[in-house]
Amino acid sequence: MARSSVTLRLLVMLATAAAGVLFALPPPASAQEEVASAIRRYKDRETSTGYYEEYEVRPRRQRPFVEIPGVQAGLFPYSPSAAQVRNRSRLADSHMGIAFYREKTCQTCHPEQAKDIHTVRANLTCRQCHGGEPIASIQYFNSPMNPIRKHAYICAKCHESASASFASYIVHEPAPGSAKARAGFPALYYAYWFMLVLLVGTLAFFIPHSFLVGLRELFNKKRATNDDAADAH
Amino acid sequence: MTLPTRIKRFSVLDRLSHIFLMVTFLLQTATGFSRLYITTVWGKKVNTFFGGYDTSLLIHEWTGMVMMAGFVLHTIYLLTRIDWRTPVKSIFGPDSLVPNLTDAKQFGQRIRWFFGFGPLPGFNRWSYWEKFDYWAVYWGLPLLALTGLMMMYPLSTSRFLPGWSLNIAALLHRAEAILAVTYIFIVHFFIGHLRPSSFPMNEAMFSGSVPMEEAIEEKPAWVKRLQEEGRLESAGSAAPSLWYRRLYFMFGYAALIFGIYMLINGILYSRQINLH
Repeated sequence: MARSSVTLRLLVMLATAAAGVLFALPPPASAQEEVASAIRRYKDRETSTGYYEEYEVRPRRQRPFVEIPGVQAGLFPYSPSAAQVRNRSRLADSHMGIAFYREKTCQTCHPEQAKDIHTVRANLTCRQCHGGEPIASIQYFNSPMNPIRKHAYICAKCHESASASFASYIVHEPAPGSAKARAGFPALYYAYWFMLVLLVGTLAFFIPHSFLVGLRELFNKKRATNDDAADAH
Repeated sequence: MTLPTRIKRFSVLDRLSHIFLMVTFLLQTATGFSRLYITTVWGKKVNTFFGGYDTSLLIHEWTGMVMMAGFVLHTIYLLTRIDWRTPVKSIFGPDSLVPNLTDAKQFGQRIRWFFGFGPLPGFNRWSYWEKFDYWAVYWGLPLLALTGLMMMYPLSTSRFLPGWSLNIAALLHRAEAILAVTYIFIVHFFIGHLRPSSFPMNEAMFSGSVPMEEAIEEKPAWVKRLQEEGRLESAGSAAPSLWYRRLYFMFGYAALIFGIYMLINGILYSRQINLH
């Protein structure tokens, strides 16, 4: 009787201590779960379907050129030219299924992408940023080019301590006066046309202006010399 | 009362500022163009002279810093030139470079004069095109400085502005530089050297003074105002000495030749820049 009551007391004490420890610890939080989405867990570990929930692939800041149809966020609206990119922008292998892919160079299909400062001036090759095969789409969740981590995985290789804002610099900028720029990068487009109108306007005004000054002074000078010659006679 | 034969037009500080601007502007043109045209044969040649792609940028950046310092000092100087007892009169007065309605009127008169329909307008101290020259530099310099600083410190810039503002900064810097270079090497050089009344060189900005007959012809209202205010006698100036004239003719012509060289090569090679 006495022995069993000691055992019981010991058990009660142990249970109280265990409960105390459990109460003292913080409860499990949702942040400790491994995936961002509550609905499609572990989707990012599955074979890519090309579609992920918006939440998972959305970058922190602007996504240059690629926007949600009908929704304008920031300065970059949805553009039709971005559709080509958008269609393949979420694949693990962005060049999947392209015929004779191995026979092609990057510039065979992307000649415009080789005209920027990084390529022409810094002599960077495509692969220094885009990596080896398979080249993942920029919005593919695990791609180093995904805007979530591009600044750390790509930009910071040369630009130490690059931030997400810094990574919104548009490396492959469109020709600034083009319709593509107007749709995808209006700030660049309007800056370009403002400066062009200013340049052409200033020169179109001042070159004829200077020319007419010169012409008039030449005539006046000639008339003065003629007058002098007439006075001498 | 005897009129002085020459009349003072620019102070020593004005002239030094102009020489400062000449030297730094030409240096920025050469180093900047050498990088803009680096993909061309000519660009490579000029760039090699300045020590390569990185060294030429270093020279460009430091010269830019010196220009910014000059701009700040000049702005302080401008503030000291305002008569703070009568600021409005001082800022919009005839000695000021701020444009006013008279300039618009005189511009119309001068257009008529171009085609022989009227006399030359009686300009005061500064004509409208001289004012334009001044303000073109005064707004162009801070724009180039700001966009230049953004590109010099892209990481710091991206902390305050989105990274794509660097695309805009690069575009504005280049466009404003091309505007400044073409304006100076075409319009300013024509006015300073080639127009019949200036040919072979308008010396006022170097000698600091103009002959009295030239002042009466080109700026009659100014001379009249000085006379009315009794300042004409004290505005008299001695003719520049021969050695000094020789010096500034050489300097001016060196700048002219250099500018024309940059302009012509810039136009010739502009097709081969290989950038958007």
